[in-house]
Amino acid sequence: MEQQPLETDDCIRNVIKLYSNMVYRLAFSQTRNKSNADDIYQEVFFRYIKKRPQFQTERHEKAWFIRVTINCCKKMWLSSWIKKIVPLDETIVFEFKEEINLHYELQKLPMKYRAVIHLFYYEDMSVEEISEMLNRKPSTVRTQLTRARYILKEILKEDYDV
Amino acid sequence: MFREKYYSMNEQITPDQKLVDKIINSIDETKRETNKRRIVYRQSIIVFAVFIVLVFAAMPVLAGNIPVVYEIIYSISPSIAQRFIPVKKSCENDGIKMEVISAYIHGNTAEIYIAMRDLVGERIDETTDLYDSYSINRPFDASATCKLVSFDKTTKTATFLISITEWGNQKIVGDKITFSVREFISHKHEYNEIPINVDLTNIKNTQSTKQVWVNGGSGPKFEEYVSVPLAESKVKVLVPSSPMSFPVKDIDFTGIGYVDGMLHIQTSIINNLTKDNHGYFFLKDARGNNIQCDYHVGFVENSYSDNRIDYNEYVFDIPQSEIGQYSLYGTFVTSGLYTKGNWQVTFPLEEFKE
Repeated sequence: MEQQPLETDDCIRNVIKLYSNMVYRLAFSQTRNKSNADDIYQEVFFRYIKKRPQFQTERHEKAWFIRVTINCCKKMWLSSWIKKIVPLDETIVFEFKEEINLHYELQKLPMKYRAVIHLFYYEDMSVEEISEMLNRKPSTVRTQLTRARYILKEILKEDYDV
Repeated sequence: MFREKYYSMNEQITPDQKLVDKIINSIDETKRETNKRRIVYRQSIIVFAVFIVLVFAAMPVLAGNIPVVYEIIYSISPSIAQRFIPVKKSCENDGIKMEVISAYIHGNTAEIYIAMRDLVGERIDETTDLYDSYSINRPFDASATCKLVSFDKTTKTATFLISITEWGNQKIVGDKITFSVREFISHKHEYNEIPINVDLTNIKNTQSTKQVWVNGGSGPKFEEYVSVPLAESKVKVLVPSSPMSFPVKDIDFTGIGYVDGMLHIQTSIINNLTKDNHGYFFLKDARGNNIQCDYHVGFVENSYSDNRIDYNEYVFDIPQSEIGQYSLYGTFVTSGLYTKGNWQVTFPLEEFKE
């Protein structure tokens, strides 16, 4: 007999609300595009609702959402050329001009660097945590962080010290 | 500065409330649909199994006439492989041939397979890395990635997949692009979790330190010990010594000692811009747990000369009285060969027509 998940619908609602912004921001950091971030956001939470995975700790729960979001982004990059998706040109309006500039400059950053930058600077994760999360070696993460910082510094000149 | 801006920018990014509501409302719908899906599930498995049998039955016929790269694409998706348009434009420099094999354009994205083959030697191998040194010139704004997808030992051919996505959501068909490579590194060697033969109980306090400007770093305590922005203050590091015994070729072990109660370990690499050698140290405790460094900094000497030296210093916050309980390990990657040249191919982006 199939084992029934222990979580109630209320628990699921609370978890969705708790990780809603985190998942959406990570998805946006990868795609830099609102409509793609919307798609990934839905995919991540549909997976969660369908699977209803059980976690021992909140840390595991957070790690699951980050991994699934990253995997959905990768899947989207692979599948977009199959499905011939042309994303809507929607974006988010930022408050300050320098944030708009930063957003456009981040679009130029190679995909492999976007996740490490977001997890390091926004989620405050250490290199080791990022390495575990992205299944990349710590040395690779360090190198990618250094290269991403270098690229950003080059792009943004003296406006930002990264 | 960057952290604050990045944080502030992200705080403004939130999903639309409608989207959140849609997800929450789907909790009940998912329950109802689960039973329906179970019925359809078995039928799908049968259809999929028939599909797989048909695909693999067709493979030997196709494989006889197609190059290795097509076999790779076919193994991923036969329907996509058929949509790749052969390009077959190539150039040769210093005995290395670069060939654009095929391209697949769809909407604002181009997927291009490029092969590099050493006709006279062994400079290209399964570790070949274009290392950010390739460039793609195109008449539109786009982001691009390049990764090694296969290496064929028989023909000594490395195949790379380049993905280019145009930013403005405009079709890129009809445009020409130029892919060029000026240098690459190969014959990488990995030293994975190797023991470093150092008796940590003999490590003493060192007075031999200096202040340097650092060019980067990382670690959980990086910002605690290193002022950000990096250009505003110097960091205390070991004065490099003559290289000591070290099991990694092309990375020099130039210092180890206690500074202000923390264990500092230093390595250096000469002319690393042509090597990309890198790695890290960690400690193992008596139970076999790995302890990563608390922070790491990098700094450079002779930046603008032919004798540039890149230093890396790893710092562990372990009291000197307890360090004897740990052993030192490291993981490193070095590249054996740096090849310069000029490979450049220009080709049109054409769309597959049914």
